[in-house]
Amino acid sequence: MNGSAFAKASAGQAGLSLCLVLAGTLAGPLGLRAINGALPGAAVRDSYLPSVETPRPREPFDQEAAQAVREVQPQFVVIGDSMAGIRIDPLQLSRLTRTRVIGLYQQGSPVAYWYLAFKNLVVNNDLKSVRGAIFFFRDDQLTTQVQVAPGSLDRVALDREPELDRLLATERLGVFSGVHRAARVAYQFDRTRLWLEPLINTAPAGSPELLQAINTEVFALDKLRKFEAADLAAATDAALDLPASVARSLLPEIIRLAAQANIRTAFVRVQRRPTSDGPPLQSAALKKYADDLKTYLIGHGAYYYDDWGDPDEPLSLYADGDHLTADGRVRYTQRFAEKHAQFFQ
Amino acid sequence: MIFHSLDFIAFFLVTLAAYWALPLRAQNVLLVVASYVFYGWVHPWWPVLLFATTFVDYWSARRMNERPDQRKAWLWISIVSNLGLLGFYKYFGFFADNIAAAGAALGWHVPDVTLRVLLPAGISFYTFQSMSYTIDVYRGHAPARTRFIDIAAFVSFFPHLVAGPIMRATNLLPQVERPRQFSAAAARDATVLIVWGFFKKLVIADNVGVIANKVFALESPEFFVLWAGVFAFAIQIYADFSAYTDIARGVAKWYGFDLIRNFDHPYLATGPVEFWRRWNISLSTWFRDYVYIPLGGSRRGPWRNAANIMITFLVSGFWHGASWNYVIWGAYHGLLLVIARSVPRSAKREGGLLRTARVLTMFVFTCIGWLIFRETELNQLWRDLRLSPVASSALGRDAGLYLFLLAGLYSLPLWIHDLWVEFGDPSLVTAVDAEEAEVHWRRVAMQAVMCGLMMASILTLRSQTTLDFIYFSF
Repeated sequence: MNGSAFAKASAGQAGLSLCLVLAGTLAGPLGLRAINGALPGAAVRDSYLPSVETPRPREPFDQEAAQAVREVQPQFVVIGDSMAGIRIDPLQLSRLTRTRVIGLYQQGSPVAYWYLAFKNLVVNNDLKSVRGAIFFFRDDQLTTQVQVAPGSLDRVALDREPELDRLLATERLGVFSGVHRAARVAYQFDRTRLWLEPLINTAPAGSPELLQAINTEVFALDKLRKFEAADLAAATDAALDLPASVARSLLPEIIRLAAQANIRTAFVRVQRRPTSDGPPLQSAALKKYADDLKTYLIGHGAYYYDDWGDPDEPLSLYADGDHLTADGRVRYTQRFAEKHAQFFQ
Repeated sequence: MIFHSLDFIAFFLVTLAAYWALPLRAQNVLLVVASYVFYGWVHPWWPVLLFATTFVDYWSARRMNERPDQRKAWLWISIVSNLGLLGFYKYFGFFADNIAAAGAALGWHVPDVTLRVLLPAGISFYTFQSMSYTIDVYRGHAPARTRFIDIAAFVSFFPHLVAGPIMRATNLLPQVERPRQFSAAAARDATVLIVWGFFKKLVIADNVGVIANKVFALESPEFFVLWAGVFAFAIQIYADFSAYTDIARGVAKWYGFDLIRNFDHPYLATGPVEFWRRWNISLSTWFRDYVYIPLGGSRRGPWRNAANIMITFLVSGFWHGASWNYVIWGAYHGLLLVIARSVPRSAKREGGLLRTARVLTMFVFTCIGWLIFRETELNQLWRDLRLSPVASSALGRDAGLYLFLLAGLYSLPLWIHDLWVEFGDPSLVTAVDAEEAEVHWRRVAMQAVMCGLMMASILTLRSQTTLDFIYFSF
């Protein structure tokens, strides 16, 4: 073999070795599919968010809840997380306003949950007499980036949720959402992650109780340095840009759905825990954001109320955090019915 | 633009395809354009500074060549402009704050002149690299170049622009100037380096970084929690920084360039001298060649040598950031080095146990250094250094052990890799810088399997919280 023939053969071999490494890199993660296939557990179903989730075991849509709502045929629906649940007693509000009110509450739920609950349990649930939907939220919750933990929306999601999927794909993955989707479908890594990541993070703790204690006691919020808390506030303030964030949120879709179904909407911003001296402080950025949100919502025909600084909500009404006591809930519901009687007309 | 984004991967593939279709001169033009796009992706004004640095140093070196009698003046112009730029963006606020604080202590009112400008990423790296060119020309180690585009490509070469390794003109410029040929073997090893870099960054550094960030956000962490956080940070900074340089080296290899190794398993060092031969090698050697040796090095007796070491490390600490904790960190390492150099060591090779003990001891000293490095609040640092394990609660002990084990678990591949390369067969897992005479198929098979495993791990275990590369902020 002469020199150039040897070099050619070497280059060919080197090229083949490069292809092997590239193939290994791209094909290796396909092994995740085999691992997933061998996993015990519930049957895998296509996700209602195919752009951001691969097929996984999922809870079915809660038909019983939908049926229960249909049986009540509510006139007003209160939607939100524990902030709503701890403030509004639907039965009391029904009595006070002489209307049928139900609460669709889910503790710690994201806006995506409220959107799906409103869409699937109210707007598209064959209800004849719904007149209004009342959303309770904190600060910039309505327009913050849509966060969805796997499984958290299962009970209120249908088999396909194209609007939410589109929004998540655009917001999270940008112009490369197609690449992400293809990788998710090919490798099914989300499903592996669902069990592998918790396994790694909990195994060194030995017991879930210890992990819970570490999270709630060692790293409790009140153990943070003050400047860390200030940094968090500053970081949040930097994101408080309503015009920029509203387009990336589910708020326009909620308003559109409500208008289409001829349902009035009310948005109530709850007050964070006040101090003994009065209402809690809020930054100038947050105040401006709240003003902009009010203008936006009223401009889109919604009813808006801001609890911030309401003298009827002193510290004595609060239990832990931003939650009210049981008595506080009764009083809040009563005052709510009085203050917003016009909305229930 | 950051490496761990699809933007970068698309940018890399498009640029690479165009690059190998072009002749040398056009390749260099493309590299400069691509590098400026890369650098200005988020902040379009940053390339202006890069261009200014490049132009001043290119012009200074040419003038040194044309007017040898003015060589010193042009060298000073280069040094003052580079350090001036660095000082303005990086240290202005620090000096202004300290002058204001000193004034206040004396009862004087010093007006607030804090600058509200963002520190351009990588400015500490490219100013040092660019400055080394004019210094080398001044010293006669490198000729002044006439083609501006070559100097621009040398200074701005995007794979290592933001966080090194800092390349010398004598090493990188000849690579810029000579014709480059695509090598499939180099591209294969480059791929391994890139995947390993992404794995270290996304799976190891970012996951343990979350632990470190949580611990350093606490007002009063207990002893075991604090030191578990320091351990996590030690892993984070090594995995993060070495990941960047691995990706940089891998990307550069695809373009036909060889960047120097910046890390050589630093946590297996047996002492401070060895540690600095293994940690951030390009910066350590830069300070050795352009600060320590010009100060006189070890040639003027032990006391002067100790002073030179301390000065070099103080400057190195200050290079890392405009904050007193970095200066203290530099002083701490300088002191360790001075002490280590004053202790005579046996020339005999150490046995396994003694060596292990030395490695562990040095790792503990390194971790103390990382506490100083990470803790920017001096009051807090003083509190942390005085913490006693005896005062720790049972929950504090359990939490510390949990965090330590978690950080250890995520970093296990890094430890195995380093031990393997140090004591096993490095050829299986490291890149080969020289052209191979023949392909070693066993090695290739190992590389393919490892890349597949690392890719699967990246997809399933990458941290939900993506952190910036730590050295971006320097």
